[in-house]
Amino acid sequence: MPNTRTDAVAVAGGYQLALQQLTDSALPTGAFAHSLGFETYIERGLVHDEASFGVWLSAFIEQQLTYSDGLAIRFLYDGVPVAELDALLTAQLLPRQLREASTKMGTRLLEIGSEVFPSGQLAEYRSLVTTGRAAGHQPLAFAVVARSLGVPRTEAIAAYLFAAVTSLTQNAVRAIPLGQNAGQRLLRKASDDVAAAVGRVGRLTPDDFGAVSPGLEISQMRHERQRARMFMS
Amino acid sequence: MTAVGLGPAASGFRQAQSPNPSVEPVETPMGELELVVAVRGGRSVAAHQYHRGALRILRPHYLDDSGQVCYVMVNPGGAYLGADLYVIDVEVGDGAKLLLTTQSATKIYRTPGSFAEQRMTLRLGEGAQLELAPDQLIAYREASYRQNTHITVRPTSSLVMAEVVTPGWSPDGASFRYEELRLRNEINVETPAGTTMLALDNLLIRPPLNDVTGMGFMEGFSHLGSLVVVDARVDQALADEFHALTAGHDAYTGVSLTACVGGTTGLVLRSLSNSTEELNRLLGTCTALLRERWYGQSPLNLRKY
Repeated sequence: MPNTRTDAVAVAGGYQLALQQLTDSALPTGAFAHSLGFETYIERGLVHDEASFGVWLSAFIEQQLTYSDGLAIRFLYDGVPVAELDALLTAQLLPRQLREASTKMGTRLLEIGSEVFPSGQLAEYRSLVTTGRAAGHQPLAFAVVARSLGVPRTEAIAAYLFAAVTSLTQNAVRAIPLGQNAGQRLLRKASDDVAAAVGRVGRLTPDDFGAVSPGLEISQMRHERQRARMFMS
Repeated sequence: MTAVGLGPAASGFRQAQSPNPSVEPVETPMGELELVVAVRGGRSVAAHQYHRGALRILRPHYLDDSGQVCYVMVNPGGAYLGADLYVIDVEVGDGAKLLLTTQSATKIYRTPGSFAEQRMTLRLGEGAQLELAPDQLIAYREASYRQNTHITVRPTSSLVMAEVVTPGWSPDGASFRYEELRLRNEINVETPAGTTMLALDNLLIRPPLNDVTGMGFMEGFSHLGSLVVVDARVDQALADEFHALTAGHDAYTGVSLTACVGGTTGLVLRSLSNSTEELNRLLGTCTALLRERWYGQSPLNLRKY
């Protein structure tokens, strides 16, 4: 087959496999330990099955992942300095546990990225974090690596959002609990929400950054005082 | 007048990113207000005062013997209309104490094809104290409103701001009939080492686009209350105390702390409820604790004229 060699070169030189590794839910960033607020809804009895978790997940994609994570990735791709965006995220993530989740997972991603996908920009961001000049947020660590790998902006945002959704759904499957097939149905449905969110992220302005709904934020704040909990956020 | 935006700390971001310059009104503001409060003879007084157009302030009050001066902002027109721009610039000098409130609810009437906007710049000096306690915000049917508040504090400043956003008003009694509400508060801390953003509190409610009433947004409630405290004395114990205080109210409330910047910390309390009165009671209970503990002042009792 004359094309085999060209195909192999194309795959080896492309970003596809690297992006799959980066967004695999087995990537050891500790995402399994975070509900990012949905555990509060479980405790209140509002999230208890496939349908009710789906409602929360849609709101989370439409709000948090659009106005905070997704927009931060877009701005980094647009050329806003990573230190500026890092400070902006620290100021905007008002619920303490959410801020800590972002920097915990972000710091891990910076470590892993430095070993497997090293680049000048990543080393620069990591050194800002190790010297205390930046906090090291997850969407920014991801965006720096993805950009260095040549992943186009829209694809990077979509991949990040869907990876976040996958982790959260797996956590819900364990916590509610739901069946494995229910988890897959939720993911299939969530992909439409992720696609819509990617479109919106492209149209938002700097004034929109961090406009997360009060309901999600209050629930993330209340998680700090929840007595019995499986998750750190 | 100082332009309100992302501020000096993020000016590059603003310039690099602003994709739609047409959203920045360039016309003469409908109303302007400048106020500088400083300490003179043990009391806080206005060292500079200016108003133009549809914004005024009433003569100062002293509600107690703490030296804190109270100014009441007035919009003689009674409401904000389409394309109206209001610019407010307030400075609380070193050691000065200001209570800034409004005469009545902020009402936004119909703003077809446009929006009303308020830009507020607040600067607090060393040891300055600002209590910002406006009446509730009411957006009428087909109203769009943007409120941009840019605050700069020193690590020794003390800031308390409370705000209530109602579901608006429409002739048929239905809620959330306005077009859009944007309330963006940015708080920066100025230290000798530079200026760092402490908190970015951004609220965007756009009822025509999606259901804002349900799970993950307003959680079935109609009113939103918010309290922000920035002070070196803010700590986890205070957050826990506020959380305990909220338990006695018919509201769904969360309390959390910002990161610590230059020795000062922000406390953010958000609360959802079904009435302005309940939220005012809750926010009033929390601010009363701070007034008593930090300043030996009695609970705020504003009789509006």
